Amino acid sequence: MAGKSQSLGKAIDNDTEVVVIVGSGAGGGTMAYELTRQGIPCVVLEAGPFLKPEDYENDEWAAFNQMAWLDARTASGSFRVARDFPNLPAWIVKAVGGSTTHWSGATPRFKQHEFKARTYYGDVDGANLLDWPITLAEMEPYYDRAEIAIGSTHRHGRPALPANNNYKVFANGAERVGYKYYATGPYGTNAEPYDGRPASIQDGFNFQGDKNTSKWSTAVREIPRALETGLCELRTESQAVQVTHDATGRANAVLYLDADGNLHRQAAKIVCVAGNSIETPRLLLMSASALHPDGLANSSGQVGRNYQRHTTGSVYARFDKPVRMYRGETMAGIIADEARLDTSRGFVGGYYMETLSLGPAFLAAFVEPGGWGADFTELMDAYANTAGMWIVGEDMPQETNRVTLNSRIKDKWGLPAADVHFDDHPNDVAMREHGYSRADLLYEAVGALGTHHTPPYPATHNLGTARMSARPEDGVTDSFGQTHDVPGLFVTDGSLMTTGAAANPTLTIVALAMRQADHIGEQFKAGAL
Amino acid sequence: MGSQSSFDENAKRCLTRLIQRAFPHSSFPDGPYTRTAESIVTQAEDSLPDKLNLAAGLASLDAAAGGSFADTDDAAADEIIAKMLDAPFFGFVRAISVVTLYNDPETWKLLGYEGASFDQGGYLHRGFDDLDWLPDPRIEEYDGPDQLVEVAPADEPSNEGAK
Repeated sequence: MAGKSQSLGKAIDNDTEVVVIVGSGAGGGTMAYELTRQGIPCVVLEAGPFLKPEDYENDEWAAFNQMAWLDARTASGSFRVARDFPNLPAWIVKAVGGSTTHWSGATPRFKQHEFKARTYYGDVDGANLLDWPITLAEMEPYYDRAEIAIGSTHRHGRPALPANNNYKVFANGAERVGYKYYATGPYGTNAEPYDGRPASIQDGFNFQGDKNTSKWSTAVREIPRALETGLCELRTESQAVQVTHDATGRANAVLYLDADGNLHRQAAKIVCVAGNSIETPRLLLMSASALHPDGLANSSGQVGRNYQRHTTGSVYARFDKPVRMYRGETMAGIIADEARLDTSRGFVGGYYMETLSLGPAFLAAFVEPGGWGADFTELMDAYANTAGMWIVGEDMPQETNRVTLNSRIKDKWGLPAADVHFDDHPNDVAMREHGYSRADLLYEAVGALGTHHTPPYPATHNLGTARMSARPEDGVTDSFGQTHDVPGLFVTDGSLMTTGAAANPTLTIVALAMRQADHIGEQFKAGAL
Repeated sequence: MGSQSSFDENAKRCLTRLIQRAFPHSSFPDGPYTRTAESIVTQAEDSLPDKLNLAAGLASLDAAAGGSFADTDDAAADEIIAKMLDAPFFGFVRAISVVTLYNDPETWKLLGYEGASFDQGGYLHRGFDDLDWLPDPRIEEYDGPDQLVEVAPADEPSNEGAK
């Protein structure tokens, strides 16, 4: 359903060199606000439409069709998604706000040792591990700012959300198996009015965009505020297709298509690419030039590689009494006891357990892809008495897990679709199995009649395809997200992550964007840019 | 075949029976299954390969039943389906069924799901926390004497030599 490209905010001439931000999600939206409030003009190019709270649907498939990125993509490799959902490797959003529109809200920080994965995990066979070029100590002030922007519960005086039904099962099970580090957050949805937005009404539709605006997203906070500065132009339904550079090799413009397929050029002083970890490497690869024949900023060969999707799995437990997991905040329940490094468990890295609920429409699609018959309908018949959780942990970066340009499949503009190739690392499999077994014990401790292990679905956490590195040969960007090869070209999303850690990535993406924005601001003031 | 539908009433009955046995819910009446069958037929009509596969698949079900698959008993139907799992038409039927049968307000209600809630004020005052068969758990983070050991002593890099 092609709409019309819209221009919002201050009109900026195409020939005026500004900061051009590709994408308006956690990274791009934050960057737009953090730069404009420092007085730096920006043009934001967003591939999707500006959906407003009144547009969001309390209906899983309707919302999915409204906001999911459904342009041609392919999945390959041995991971099960390639078989179950061959054209949907990732479940991310194409709209203003990006995937903050459908994120559920868990905001744990990365841990000190997770910024030094190579040092702590050692030489894991088949893994392309690397220490981050920054430390937790450097990130802490930005984590504080990000939590305050998001309004994370349990942090900076923000109260906890109450226990919903799914959490009651989850937390009681946690207590009975001896877990201690469980709570209803930290979580990016208001338990009481905050920052001009109301408290949660527990409507249960986190993944569908929050009509009540209690949930933080860049569509309800950063983008409107950036527009209010009078220094930002947001162009919707504008698909970036190439980043160009001048004769000296400096980034100087972004070419993009409007909704009707007309090609435009926006001049740039700086380009920040924030299209999420599939579109970002795709754009860099499509921007190959004589100077950069293997793709822009790809002298390391690492663009598109080390694609991570987090080690995930879900467990649904059936009880003899009602749970009604769908009532209330979807993911306001986090257990951190397994988010640690202890190789006596049989794997490096850690994982979180988080409450999860799907409606029958999505549960049927994801609970057991390919399933049918009485085994399948038993799961569905138990719907009202079912509790659910998600396991989310660190997966191993592998060079062969990568985003490439598909030479055969094109998008509607004739541009090569992204292919997402992924094989599970043995460490990922061991962690997932551990998570399943611990989830079983937890639910059995509160009387589960049975549990079902749901395999990973199309990835909501997509990371690592333009990673930061201290040395140019190991990665794509420096510690501030500027590409090693192309001055003026920054990456401003989860693609930056050198390794993925266990935590949900949004908080860290926001914190990294804030740090990057401060750096760019300082460079502007110093006249260096 | 000209432009006429490839699927007559007998074919639709056969398809409905297939969906009922592939997704058997004793609580579901015929309506949701019939609507799912209609949706499958509509989508098959849009694609020649899907149409041909589905028509051939339904005919093979009838052939395996020695006449009418729609009139077989449950056990016989299940035995026939078990032999058809790898046929392309079964994958097509299953894939559409799973996103149609369970995307139906009638089946939501039967499964105990209440659908849209925002316009009723969410569940804040309508039972988001009405589970009463377990004690009310702590919602705050742990603040007791222990601290999460983020790195097991044996996994400290300084202990690398000791491993």
